[in-house]
Order: sequence, then structure tokens, then C-alpha cells
Amino acid sequence: MNRRSEQSEMGLIVKTTARATIPLIGIFGTYIVSHGHLTPGGGFQGGATIAGAGILFLIAFGFGEMKRRYNHHLYSALEGLGGLVFLGAAMLGLGVAFFYNTLWHSGPFFNGQPGTLLSAGYLPIMNLAVGLKVFAGLVSAMVAVAAYRRWKE
Amino acid sequence: MMLPYLIIVPLFGAFALPIISLAGKKARELWAVLITAITLGVAAELFYTVWKGGEILVYTLGAKSPLGNGVPFPIRIVWEVDLLGAIFILMVAFVAFVAVLYSTEYMRHDTGLEKYYALVLLLEVGMLGIAMTGDLFNFYVFMEIMSIAGYALVAFRNDTWEGIEAGIKYMFVGSIASSFILLGIVLLYGQYGTLTMAYLAKMIAENPTFTAKVALGLLIGGLLFKSGAVPVHMWLADAHPAAPSSISAMLSGLVIKIGGTYALARMAFSVFSTGIDTRTIGWVIILFACATLIVGNAMAVIQTDMKRLFAFSSVGQIGYILLGTGIGLAAYGSDVGNIALAGAIYHTVNHAVIKALLFLVAGVVIHQLGTKNLNELSGIARKMPVTSFAFLVGAAAIIGLPPMNGFASKWLIYESSALFNPLVAVIAVIGTAFSLAAYIRVLFTFLGRPSERVMKAKEPGKAMLVPMLLLVAVIILMGLFPWFISDRIMIPAAKMLENAGTYISAVLGGA
Repeated sequence: MNRRSEQSEMGLIVKTTARATIPLIGIFGTYIVSHGHLTPGGGFQGGATIAGAGILFLIAFGFGEMKRRYNHHLYSALEGLGGLVFLGAAMLGLGVAFFYNTLWHSGPFFNGQPGTLLSAGYLPIMNLAVGLKVFAGLVSAMVAVAAYRRWKE
Repeated sequence: MMLPYLIIVPLFGAFALPIISLAGKKARELWAVLITAITLGVAAELFYTVWKGGEILVYTLGAKSPLGNGVPFPIRIVWEVDLLGAIFILMVAFVAFVAVLYSTEYMRHDTGLEKYYALVLLLEVGMLGIAMTGDLFNFYVFMEIMSIAGYALVAFRNDTWEGIEAGIKYMFVGSIASSFILLGIVLLYGQYGTLTMAYLAKMIAENPTFTAKVALGLLIGGLLFKSGAVPVHMWLADAHPAAPSSISAMLSGLVIKIGGTYALARMAFSVFSTGIDTRTIGWVIILFACATLIVGNAMAVIQTDMKRLFAFSSVGQIGYILLGTGIGLAAYGSDVGNIALAGAIYHTVNHAVIKALLFLVAGVVIHQLGTKNLNELSGIARKMPVTSFAFLVGAAAIIGLPPMNGFASKWLIYESSALFNPLVAVIAVIGTAFSLAAYIRVLFTFLGRPSERVMKAKEPGKAMLVPMLLLVAVIILMGLFPWFISDRIMIPAAKMLENAGTYISAVLGGA
């Protein structure tokens, strides 16, 4: 219809609120990812939460602003990297078996007292990897949907 | 132990592909070919080990032993590869390698190829995982990896209406079939409290409940859908023509067999045969098989679209494989059942190679001429002799002419079905008659007088010819030693599959 609806920017209140909440959502999501081995949640839930911050950005500030800050190659590579880190962590204990938690049994780190942050062997690494993958994947998917051709052609 | 590398290598390839493809087009094609080649090497090594050793390989994820500390039951995911699984793993790795090699030239004009190669590698991961897993939920996860990669690849050319239409159809009905399978697994878990196939088989044998039968019904329903048996074959006839030809070759050659008939045989023989009357399951599968044989092959005769004809022919050939499996179940433990099962396994491998070749030929025709309508394609043999020769070999093999590999496997199925029930054998022969009619029609189209459209055609490049010739060589080589292969590989595989006791004790040990 007009230029405003094409860019689909929201009003001032929404934008200001988004400025305030996007960091909070991001921090909360990171908390969920990094405490996946201690509290409910984990890689997928935390990654989806952080992606929620990205989607809020996309809706509040419009696709034009998002396009300027989004790099397709970077996000694609990050998603691949998440998968590679997961696979790498699973391969650490390949001497015994695939997915053998060697960091927990005899590793140099991540083998602290159960219940502390630096425990549970490769689980925190895998949570971070899955969180990264889910975040990058969901944001890429939403940007791709938003960038899709217009309603009519 | 190289079993985990079958998953690690293609998964690593798929995850690294977005990063590799930053280096350019050539790099990602080379990467995909390299990864599938390494996978093929690992698969060949694995097949040789299992075949030579004659034992079931068991691999536990996360520890040395599948059993929990101080308890006699398995708590971890196990991968369990018997000879049947090893045959299928080798078949998947080979056809996937050939298809990827072919797509380096065939897919050159398309966009978004880094996603294409990643999806192909994930499709391979899913299929290899199904063939090697010994855990019911792990099986479901690999099945979904395979199916979702399949949906995306069918709709890969999303600027064509048929790609989107077939993709939506395949995805909607495929998801319903997957949820049937999941529901069956949920019921089994609720009843028996375990997801390890071997331990579950033991539990079902001790206490066969009604829930197990309901779960088996749901599993058979979902898996028959995935294999394209007749009442639920409609997605296949749309999905295979709409997909890029390298993908049709993998869908028709591998996906419907790994996700359909292989999983069906694994469930029926390894999990349920100890506790549930195999005769009944066998006859249910035979009924579906007979319908599939007739309808699939008869529908192939009337098609004018080349790839649609091949797709319906795939439905018909699935009928033979199901027939062999069904007779193997209904005549469980007898010689007839054993031969029928060996024939089904043999035919699966043969059909995978043959149908991959035929779809690659169809891909060449589409790539060079831009049409797959048989009415416009007369006289290709003059202009594209190598392609036509490859088609001739494929057509002869799929009908089952003696010097090709299709003969021995079909012979085993005919022989055993005639011994089992003459009526079933008659139906099988009628199906082949239809199939003969369909392929003779295409052959005459190829050999006719060249039409105007065909006059400008020429052979494709090396990257498309070499995969086809590779498949032709395998078909002829396998055709030269049919009884050697059947006695040394297929019959031991059938025996290993029938013997559920060793499958169970391989995981549980003495317990």
C-alpha cells in the first residue's frame, strides 16, 4: 500500500520497549543454554529464546533494518559450526566409544563437583553448540521467510 | 571399529558444507564427492568384516557395554549390524556416491547448491543410521532425518509448480505416516519399558500382549506407506517425477527400501517374530504385495511421462520385495521361506542399482532435451547411443532377462512363491508381464525414427556418463555371478535375519 507498511516498522513505544527487552531476552536465553546441565532447559530451549530476541528485532524495527545487520554467509557458517562443535565433543572419547564422556571421567576441565557450573563433562559444550545452531537456524529461517517475494507479482 | 565413522563422516561433511562452500562452487562439489567416496570406503570395509566374520557387530554409544551398571538390561543406544544391515549400508553408500558424482554436472544450472549437497549428505546419514541402528527411538530419529531431507529435496526446484505440489503432498502424508510409527513406538515403550530392539524382542516373547499387536499394526501401516505399497503409493508417483533426477535415483533406489521394506523386515523378524504369530503378519504383507505388484506395474504401462513410468515401476518392484518378505514370514523357518527372503534381499539390492541407473538415464534425457514426454522422444538411440545402451541394460535387468542381475533375484521369488502358493506365483508373473509391456514401449520409443526435437541432441559430459557406466558395469558383473552372490551373501543374510535368537543375544550377551 504505502511505504510505511512495506517496511513494516512499528511505533515508537514498541521500538523503545524492544530496545529494552532484546538484551534481557538474550541474556536470559544465554543463561538457559549455559545452565542446561543444572536447571530445566538446555540448548534447544535457550537457542529458541535467543532467536525470539532476533525475531522481536525483525518485527519491531522492520525488515529493512534487519537486512542491514544480517549476513547470510555468517549465519550459515555459524550454524555449521554449531553442528561441528557438537560432533567434535561427541568424538572426544572415541578411543572408548562414540559419545563417551571423557571430559567427565578424566578430562582436564568440566569435571568439577556435580551441581556446579563447570561439571557434567561435554554437556555444557554440546548445549552451547546446540544453542548456537538453533539460534542461527531459526533466525535465518525467519529472515528468509520475511525476505520472500511480495504477496503479488 | 569403523561403525561410528559411517555416521561421523557424512555428518561432518554436511555440517562443514556451509563453511566449505564459502570457498566457492568447485570446492563444495569436490567436498561432497570426497565425503561420499570416503563413506563408500568405510561401508565396503564394514561389509567385508561382517561378511567374513559371519557375526553381528554391536556398537554401544557412550560406553563399552550396552548393559547398565549392575543390571542385566541395556540402557544405552546400541547399533547392531548383521549381514542384512551391512548389505544395505553398502548399497546406500554406493548409490549415494554415484548420485552425488552425477549431480556435479546435472545440477549445475540450479541455485542454492550448498543446501542441496548438505541435504543429500543428511539423506545419506539418515539411511545409513536406519540400517545400522538397534534402538527403536534412534530408528525413528534417523527415519525423520531421512524423511525431512527427502521432503526438502523433492521440492528443491521450488520455481516449478510440480516440485512444490509433490513436496507438499509427500510432506503431509509422510508426516502422518511418521506419527503412526512414533505412536507404535510409544505404545511399545509404555507396555514394555524399553526401546532396545533386542531386549524388546525378548520381552515380547515372554509376554505377548494386545498392545504389542496394536503397535505392530501401527508400525506396519506407517512403514508400508514409506515403502509405497499400493493403497498408499500416491505420493511416490508424484514425488519421484518432480524431484531432480539424481534425487529420484536415491529416493527410488534407497529411501523406499531402507525406510520401508528394510525397516518392515527388521521389525517383523528381529523384534516381533519371537512373540507374535508370523503366519498372520506374513499373509497381511502378501496381500499388500499382490495388490502392489498388479497396480504398480499396470499403471506403468499407460504412462506417457518417462519418470512417472519409472516411479510406477518402482511401486511394482516394491511388490516383489514385499512378496518375498511376506512369504519369508508366512513360511517362517522352512526352506521356502528362507529362499523367498533371500530373493527379497537380493531383489532389493538389484532394484536399487537398476532403478538408480534408469532414473539417471531419465535425467540425461531431461537435461539434454528438456522434455520427459515419451511421445516427443522417439529415436534417441541415433543421437545418444551410450545413454540408450545404458537404458537397454537397465530395462533388460528390471524385467529379469538372464544375463542381467534382475534374473536371479526374480527367479528366487518366483520359485519360492510357486512352492508356497501357486496363485501368488501367477500374480507375480502377471505383474512381470505388465512391466515387460511398459519397458518395451519405452524401448521402441528410443529406437524409433528420430523426431525433430531429438535431431539436435548430443551425449552429456563425462560427469554424467561415468556414473551411468559404473551402474551398468555393476549390473552386468552381478549378472555374471548370480548364484555365487545368492549362495554366499543373500542366503546367509536371510538366515541371519530369521534367527532372532542371535540378534537378541548379541546385545544381551548371556543374560
